[in-house]
Amino acid sequence: MLLDIFDPKAPAQAIGIDLGTTNSIVAHVRDGRPVPLVTCDGTPLLPSVVHYGAEGSVAVGRSAQSYATREPERTIASVKRFMGRGAGDAETTRLGAYKFVPGEGSVVRFDLGKFTPSAVEVSAEILKSLKQSAVDQLHHVGGAVITVPAYFDDAQRQATRDAGRLAGLEVLRLLNEPTAAALAYGLEKRQNGLFAVYDLGGGTFDITILLLEDGVFQVKSTGGDSALGGDDMDREIAERMLTAMGATDAGTRTPEVVSIALQAARRAKHALTDSVEASVELPKKGGGEVRFVVTRSDFDAWILPLLERTGRACKRALRDAGIGASALDGVILVGGSTRVPRVRGYVEELFGKAPLADIDPDLVVAYGAAVQADLLARSSDEVLLLDVLPLSLGIETMGGGVDKILPRNTTIPAGAKATFTTYADNQTGFDLHVVQGERELAQDCRSLARFNLAGIPPLPAGFARLEVSFHVDENNLLKVEARELSTGKRQSVEVKPSYGLTDEEVEQMLIDALDHGEADFELRRLRDAQVEATRILLATDKAFDTDADLLEAGERARIEQALTDLRTAASSATQASRIENAISALDDATHDWAGRRMNRAIQSAIAGKNVGAVAERVAHAAGVEAHLEKHGAR
Amino acid sequence: MVTASDPFEALGVEPTFAVDIALLEQRHRDLSRALHPDRHAGAGSAERRRALGRAIEVNEAFRQLKDPVRRAEALLARRGVESGEGKEPPASPALLMEVMERREALAEIRVSKDQVALGRLIADVEREERRVRAELESRFADPRTDSAEILKKIGELRYFRRFLDEAQAIADDLF
Repeated sequence: MLLDIFDPKAPAQAIGIDLGTTNSIVAHVRDGRPVPLVTCDGTPLLPSVVHYGAEGSVAVGRSAQSYATREPERTIASVKRFMGRGAGDAETTRLGAYKFVPGEGSVVRFDLGKFTPSAVEVSAEILKSLKQSAVDQLHHVGGAVITVPAYFDDAQRQATRDAGRLAGLEVLRLLNEPTAAALAYGLEKRQNGLFAVYDLGGGTFDITILLLEDGVFQVKSTGGDSALGGDDMDREIAERMLTAMGATDAGTRTPEVVSIALQAARRAKHALTDSVEASVELPKKGGGEVRFVVTRSDFDAWILPLLERTGRACKRALRDAGIGASALDGVILVGGSTRVPRVRGYVEELFGKAPLADIDPDLVVAYGAAVQADLLARSSDEVLLLDVLPLSLGIETMGGGVDKILPRNTTIPAGAKATFTTYADNQTGFDLHVVQGERELAQDCRSLARFNLAGIPPLPAGFARLEVSFHVDENNLLKVEARELSTGKRQSVEVKPSYGLTDEEVEQMLIDALDHGEADFELRRLRDAQVEATRILLATDKAFDTDADLLEAGERARIEQALTDLRTAASSATQASRIENAISALDDATHDWAGRRMNRAIQSAIAGKNVGAVAERVAHAAGVEAHLEKHGAR
Repeated sequence: MVTASDPFEALGVEPTFAVDIALLEQRHRDLSRALHPDRHAGAGSAERRRALGRAIEVNEAFRQLKDPVRRAEALLARRGVESGEGKEPPASPALLMEVMERREALAEIRVSKDQVALGRLIADVEREERRVRAELESRFADPRTDSAEILKKIGELRYFRRFLDEAQAIADDLF
């Protein structure tokens, strides 16, 4: 065996993670190409399954899967379906083997007796395992890009980011899966054009229409269903298997029986990819066995309603993008469920062209995540992704309707404001209910947060004016701010604590998880601060190279001083807070300069095109002949 | 946060109703390339905040100028004229009548699920919408047109566009 030699000072490697419903994958970019890393199972695909032993042991992947029939209720699969979901959500009451802690409302918790892990904690176990695999192979792991279905709402995204942080990852970015897939394809082929990404995974369906132009990947529209996927196909088969087994009512459908049927269903589905008939032996109620036969055409008919749901979402996405199917240059398939022959056939009929599937549909998302992580880590300017808001954001109105403040498919980052007024005389408080979704009634949309703006001066109805600002960052995470205009009273809400974890909770969980608690946590914070300091020192040096002329008298000296302080702090500090303070002092010193630099960037972005436009007009004026001659087209 | 700046200036395009959508898209791409948070991922937080604020401004300006109603409002704002639904003069009885009839037709289609009738209705209203847009364009081109008349046209355009949104939503549900 070769001795593995590595340089401890080698730069950290950014990784991309596809945190999937069925399988999870970690990849990184080596020599300019994305490659998957081997997980603890010895393969690139790590089954997204976590088993919690009665005594507190945690197993992930295939070893967890092996408990699925013996201890189904302690073996959590498809946890992604529960991300950002409450105990009362429809998702938690479907056919499945799990028990949940009743009542708790905002965050769903699995009831495993002594332990009650939330979906975030279960996901964090998967991410921890992937991170460990990456550390084993790359030694020094930097930030991570984690993918999410485009159709994930704010709650589901927050939950995913929390899981990343809980696993000790620096989450560089949450990236939409279809966009990731396009990145994997687009970069390798350098194509311009209009593409549809049809992504049918284990538990989610996404359709995204993307325009690739001049190195900018722009999402034109996105749609889908965050509770539709291959698992539903399994359920279609499993339902019929359970009937054949004689398990027709809730009493006979124990978690063990349901789990057996679901696993057999999955095997049958896989078998039908290559053969036209699958047959399985199933245990029968009251003893004995029953042979269950399913043909491909049976299966095709059973899943047709599911496919039609995807079809409706596709048509809507095309309409939102303002194009017809014939305008598309290609259709990209993503997700293991697109291996089902009928799915491919359906997609071809729907879009009128054969879909592309050159890259393994199980790996393509992780590849794209790795590419994006690499681009971000290198601050590369080769490619830019312009993503959109997947679902409209709004405020509940008096009658229970929704006032949409940011419509779906708005390019992010995005911001918008709306003004509301009081409806009663001397009203001193105002309740705001932030919702996400397309339905007309607030009660049918996803509730993101409720908060109250108090201390409004008593005025006649309609006089007080309340301004609500929505702010969605590049990760599609929302922040809401409300302000009473006559007093200027301001309230800012990170739309989060109502269903997710607060920063303090995440920090506490991290501390609890580490062997030496506080000390380890402090050490990690120190290392993170040092990395951050190095990054900012480099960025500032780079800015000096390009934009020193924008500095005002005395400004440079102040910045130099702050730089020196930061360098000293970064190399000698034993407390993270000292470095963090030096970083924020540097931020203050560079604040105005950053504004001027941004203006210059804007000017040159606009001017660059003006020059081009002028040149074109000149060429036109000089006549087509001269133009052709000049360009050597003769 | 979002600043109340002029969207034409934010995108560096000439303030006109007959805006060149291709140029708008090009500008939006170029500015995004300079300002998107990903381009400032390695920078200090002061710069990241600045870039994020400007990127939001550019995206909002782009959204505003793509929408003819909001584009018209932005042009009026440059003249110092406040606009918005409450500021528009009431629509003419003839228009109200027409809108009501079409609403009834739409309500019927919701029940009958008549795809052909819906397609025809959408095509009709789209034609009206185009006509009002053309009228707005010529009124903006003529500096003598007063703002009240423009506000009235904006109101009409808003009617038709809202109707189309609703019809489209029904189409989404039906097919």
